[in-house]
Amino acid sequence: MITAISFWVLAVVAVLSGAAVFWVNSMARASYSLALSFIAVGVQVLLLQQNYIGVVTILMMVMEMAVMAVYMVMFMGMNPALMPMSMVHDKRQALAVAVGVFVALTAGVLLVPWPARRGAPAEDVTAALGEELMGPKMLAMITVGVVMAVTIVAGVVLAAHRTRYDRFGDDLRRRPAHDPQPGGVGR
Amino acid sequence: MPDSTVTTVSAGWALAAAAILGLLVAFAAVLDGLFSARTAGAGPSGMTRPLGETARLVRQRRRTTVAADTLLWRIGSSGLLFMALMIVTVVPLGQWTLFDLDVGVVWFNAMDVLAWAFVWLTGWGANSTHSLIGGYRFLAHGLAYELPLMFALVAPAVAASSLNVGTVAAAQADLWFVVWMPVAFLVFCTGVVAIAVWGPFTPALGSDIAGGVTTELSGVDRLVFQGGRYALLAAGAAFAVPMFLGGGNGPLLPGWAWVLVKTSALLAVLVWLRRRLPAVRPDLFMEVGWVVLLPAVLVQDLLVAVVAVWRT
Amino acid sequence: MGLSNALARYAVNHAHVLLVEAPGHWLTRAAAEQQLLARGWLFASSPADADVLALCGTPGPEIAAIAARLWEQLPGPRARVQIDAPHLAAAAFESAATKLLDVTLQRDDSQGRSATPNGERHRDNESEGHDGGHDHGGHGTHVGKGEMDGGHAEHSAMDHGGSSGHGESGDHGGMGHGMDMGHADMGHGATSHGGMDMAPAGIPMTHGGEDRDGLELDVLHLRLGPVLPYWPTGLVLRCSLQGDLIVHAEVTLVDAQHARHHAGVRCAHHRAARRCDNAAGLLALSGWEDAAGRARRLRDWLLSDGDRGTTARDLDRLHRRIKRSWLLRWSLRGVGYLSAADVARLDLPGHLRGDTHDRLLSMIQRAADDIAGSADASSDASEHVPIVKIGDVVQGLDIATARLVVASLDLDPQPAASAVAHA
Repeated sequence: MITAISFWVLAVVAVLSGAAVFWVNSMARASYSLALSFIAVGVQVLLLQQNYIGVVTILMMVMEMAVMAVYMVMFMGMNPALMPMSMVHDKRQALAVAVGVFVALTAGVLLVPWPARRGAPAEDVTAALGEELMGPKMLAMITVGVVMAVTIVAGVVLAAHRTRYDRFGDDLRRRPAHDPQPGGVGR
Repeated sequence: MPDSTVTTVSAGWALAAAAILGLLVAFAAVLDGLFSARTAGAGPSGMTRPLGETARLVRQRRRTTVAADTLLWRIGSSGLLFMALMIVTVVPLGQWTLFDLDVGVVWFNAMDVLAWAFVWLTGWGANSTHSLIGGYRFLAHGLAYELPLMFALVAPAVAASSLNVGTVAAAQADLWFVVWMPVAFLVFCTGVVAIAVWGPFTPALGSDIAGGVTTELSGVDRLVFQGGRYALLAAGAAFAVPMFLGGGNGPLLPGWAWVLVKTSALLAVLVWLRRRLPAVRPDLFMEVGWVVLLPAVLVQDLLVAVVAVWRT
Repeated sequence: MGLSNALARYAVNHAHVLLVEAPGHWLTRAAAEQQLLARGWLFASSPADADVLALCGTPGPEIAAIAARLWEQLPGPRARVQIDAPHLAAAAFESAATKLLDVTLQRDDSQGRSATPNGERHRDNESEGHDGGHDHGGHGTHVGKGEMDGGHAEHSAMDHGGSSGHGESGDHGGMGHGMDMGHADMGHGATSHGGMDMAPAGIPMTHGGEDRDGLELDVLHLRLGPVLPYWPTGLVLRCSLQGDLIVHAEVTLVDAQHARHHAGVRCAHHRAARRCDNAAGLLALSGWEDAAGRARRLRDWLLSDGDRGTTARDLDRLHRRIKRSWLLRWSLRGVGYLSAADVARLDLPGHLRGDTHDRLLSMIQRAADDIAGSADASSDASEHVPIVKIGDVVQGLDIATARLVVASLDLDPQPAASAVAHA
């Protein structure tokens, strides 16, 4: 009973704070109402007894939104960040797409005949889910993980304005490196 | 829950848990008062400082600033206390726990990243340059300490093959984890000090920027923020006990007493450290976090994983 | 009633004091610090944190105006005292305590103030809807005026112009001289942005400019000083910031033309005390409270003509302790490095050569020399740091390192007042 009520309350919180992202007129508020929405979803997942996934959702999303708020403020330029600014662009089409997707998904949820449960849930649902998702494809998952990390590093290296020649000189012999902001380990 | 070693108590005991946390906060604050009075070298002993500070801030008026984002500001300043309370729910006191979550270790992690949000929001909300610079300084520290902290928590979890805090504590009946994973323990303590914006991690509250994040806080807002810092320090010390310091294991005394003794001891060390160490500048610590701490703790994890595999 | 009385007494026994030092009165400030610590009181880092505003020394017109602005920002219950001479500090704090306990006085005081700053009213009128202006300020470059001006008439965040006597262009002279906590002086370069409220709560927008990586970033004008913890008295640094990086800085002194007390500390003990005072400030800024407290105690002993032998020994111990701390060395090493050429070019005294860590050690060393009576020439009054050069020294540094560097310059009390006035 309590579980059902809290589930519904959280659902309302999640949807409303998700919508608030577009109502509020500040980047900090938009980021953090999205974070709140994700936290509500995370707690809902906890209620579904997917503890690991629920807690990790909260963890990742709070961190992401903290970083996102900072980046938004940084990249949007300072003036728009200062101003109370609208959080939507291209309102009419965006609204149409959003409503369309929402209706389609809801219709799907309501109209699809959900199967009845066969058998009992596994002892450890998280482990079972992980096994199901990744078990036979572990090698692929590991490879994808490494490729993603390499992509991020390569992206940063390519985007960086300065190269090692700027840091270490043309013969790469200059020590310590010439940096506008020296680091803490004296490289 | 599989192989749980602790009993879950009813939710009403949450008040008792909060009271214990409150006592630890008072202990830490009195200790800090004593230490700082000794530094000042004159005047009263500092015993009553926490009480006096509370009375002062309760009596003081709240203030707002021009064009402040008051909602986010207040959420931020009260958030640290909330985090600390959420953390202690998964810490077993001997054999009792409030919330026997099978992924308690990850729960701690999820709660500690909330500091990113709350400290930054406190800095942002006031609409003041100094406090905003403080908020950004905290995030700069966060980028450096958070990943090492996460990987430090991996070590005990791998060794105990469980993310349940009670199980991790029970796995240390023979040998405390701190003995064979000291690097993870030190990095964990660094992380706790950092989320409490304490000691070497105070540049976010630095006097060079007039108090940083706290520049514009007054009255009860400041009380809750500062109290939250102590509470986080206490909660972090309490969480280190089941993770690294053998939980309730120990001779003579019952489990709950050992947990409290170990928590207080670690807390006292953390409070004492504040006076001994200068601040770590975020721009310097960033590189240390990524180039020194992260590889060190990853090697630690690898060693622990090898031992864990070899044992089975 | 009994409870609230007890509460009030406890509160007053642990008051926090914001010290405002009038130029040329550092001895009064030192005495005040000693007295307030002896009472178990603490330093306030900002007006929001303070219960007592203590004005040390006889203020000139500018410092008086600044103190008045700061006074508006104290949350209350609050007390303001003026300490005219070192020996009056104890009595002044006693009267502050009495004022803080006086319920009627405090009630009258608070009734004269509204709970929201004036800007709120502006904002409500100007921009519709909820939180019209709420998040400016954010991003480090624009703004912030975190001031609670208790709703008094001249909330002049918006009064452009120099109502306060030193109206440089581009500066809102009226607003508290930016001295304190992040009142940024905003530029007026608002470019048009269709349909938006261009000055929420009366805060104008900032200009942009290229940062050191060639990206366009806003320039924020922030005034550092004259009232900041551990900041040289009377010094005001008008900084243009990008993020927290100082791209340009200009130096002024408050009440420069009123300076009667002229540079220089003649007595060797006082000179040593001044070195200790500066070292305490630098140590506090580097976050090492223990060592800072020790340096402050040494200063107090020197000022009270304590035992020479003990002081010299303690000074030596402090010197060794600082030398041994690898964390301090790590954090100060290389900060604000001045080569021999830099020192010559900027016309600085020779003892400032090296980085901030070297300068910290040399400060303690020179204090020891002063006590020993040797090497009088080393800290001779003729070797003043030309204040105007500070702007060149801090350019390109972020605020944290700039604060460390300025503290490491080991300024004498109000030394170059006349020099700047002539310049």
